[in-house]
Amino acid sequence: MRPLNSVQKLGLGLAAWLALISLLHGGLNLGWWSGKLAGAATQERYRVGFLPVTCHLTCPVTDFINKQTTGHGIFEPVRFSGWPELKEAFLAGYTPATFLLAPMAMALREQGVPIKIVYLGHRDGSAVVVHKDSQIHRMQDLRGKRVAVPNRYSNQRLLIFRALNDAGMTTADIQLVEMPPPDMPAALYAKAVDAISSGEPFMGQAELDGYGRVLWLTKDVWPNFISCVLAVHEDMIENHRETVQELVDGIAKSGKWLDQSMDHRMDAAQFVAKGYYNQHPRLLEFVLSKPPDRVKYTNLSLRRADFEEIEKLGQQAGILKGTARFEDYTDTSFVPDDSVIKAHDWPGLPKEKR
Amino acid sequence: MSASPSRAGIGQGRLAAFALPIGTIALLLVGWHVAVVASGSDLFPKPLDVLAGLVELVEKGLLLKYVVASLFRVTWGFGLAVLVGVPLGLVLGWWRPAFLALNPVIQALRPISPIAWIPVAILWFGIADAAPIFLIFLASVFPITVSSMAGVQNMQQVYLRAAQNFGMRGVPLFRRVILPAALPQILTGIRIALGVAWLVVVAAEMIAVNSGLGYLIIDARNAGKRYDLVVAGMVMIGSIGLVLDLLVRRLERIDSVRWGYGQR
Repeated sequence: MRPLNSVQKLGLGLAAWLALISLLHGGLNLGWWSGKLAGAATQERYRVGFLPVTCHLTCPVTDFINKQTTGHGIFEPVRFSGWPELKEAFLAGYTPATFLLAPMAMALREQGVPIKIVYLGHRDGSAVVVHKDSQIHRMQDLRGKRVAVPNRYSNQRLLIFRALNDAGMTTADIQLVEMPPPDMPAALYAKAVDAISSGEPFMGQAELDGYGRVLWLTKDVWPNFISCVLAVHEDMIENHRETVQELVDGIAKSGKWLDQSMDHRMDAAQFVAKGYYNQHPRLLEFVLSKPPDRVKYTNLSLRRADFEEIEKLGQQAGILKGTARFEDYTDTSFVPDDSVIKAHDWPGLPKEKR
Repeated sequence: MSASPSRAGIGQGRLAAFALPIGTIALLLVGWHVAVVASGSDLFPKPLDVLAGLVELVEKGLLLKYVVASLFRVTWGFGLAVLVGVPLGLVLGWWRPAFLALNPVIQALRPISPIAWIPVAILWFGIADAAPIFLIFLASVFPITVSSMAGVQNMQQVYLRAAQNFGMRGVPLFRRVILPAALPQILTGIRIALGVAWLVVVAAEMIAVNSGLGYLIIDARNAGKRYDLVVAGMVMIGSIGLVLDLLVRRLERIDSVRWGYGQR
């Protein structure tokens, strides 16, 4: 055989590299062999989008408890890193169900997206945090200051609007900037902004690390605040009613389980931080317990008055037109009877593992 | 006597080739450490914090997984870009009607950042590996196309005339004359494009993939105060980028490439 020339060697080398890197990726990251050997689930799984924030905590909790109790689930939680990607994956149909900002879901409905809010994900669980060295002690002190909010369509922005209304101020009095929540603690630390406002655990982080001071928690300003909801595509409601019901029931049971005892919350902080959020468990432990009603996971049914208030503020903030009403963007038929729904029958992590 | 100074020169050259870059890196690391300590920041990590972060990733078995995932996406995205970009560029450089028809479109698409394509990528390719591969492909295909095109357009006409005088036409003309003459410029384009492909890995992995060095950076931002891992991701991307560039440079030493450089 003729020895290979350098071009042939190069071609062979590249082909070998392509095969090697593809096989490695398949083995290390896609679980090609483990899945097939274990007889991968033939059942269709429904992807549910979520972000690593406490507003979406019931999503991983439901998944984890399902795996502990029944061994598998028909839902596959898919973690995103930001709102736009989460929303786009839902619009493209890759996640037929998703946790989403309430005003964003409502705005999408107004824009003609076949989206229905079927349940809440949490109540409360947001805060406005200022630098501990600052002289800001009440809403009026924020006059002329720079306040960071997560997204135009976030309810945290509406929360600021509501607080401004209550203080007799307008948006002209402060400077609102949009910023991804993970970047907020560093921005506050560097004093690039004067106040930050988003869902937990990013507010708790600034507090825990010693440079943030809570100006107010949502429960102090807007009790029963809703930031995120569980929304599904209308196709799911038409074709897979029982699946949506199972999802909603799972979330409801997880909510009850979380609010049943502080032990459960501390367990959730462990397994969610390690297995789903990739954060330090201390952070979730802090926001789930200090104070315990900082974020709540019960009382998750859809109430017209809550949403009409969001509609009103959304119009004031210029993100909603008011063309979609409660009946349009919600489907309340899946909301379980609160007195019937029971917490998951799962005692929590074995104590020696904690 | 006459040979020794030049041998000493080579020895010095080799020493300098190692000592200078390593010295620069060491100086940068020390400067970084001093700057963090002097500023009193407890958010920004020191070099040793980053090293500890890397060790943590190795211990968790994540570093290899992430490196493999990113290399996999770049290999496929960039490989497809070469397969599409080189032939397309050659055709555009050779056949003027194609150039007139497509060049404005290519020049209009070229400056669009891959980040702007993220929604399109999700809509077309979903949230698995295909979407980041598409983004990497998009970022690298244009530099390759444009440089291949320019390679053909700028080749010395004397080669062409000589070959035509010998009666070469069609495929042999293309294989034996045009391609080799354009090759140095094509390779320059490939080298630039590989840098770009690796550059956009962070943006490409902003999509819901759950592995990769870009994902590591985005994930670490979500994880609270883990800026050591953010910088660890940056260090890994930079180091692998350096290795990739060294590998592509070796391509330029292959004989059939080198004669093209001989003209300079």
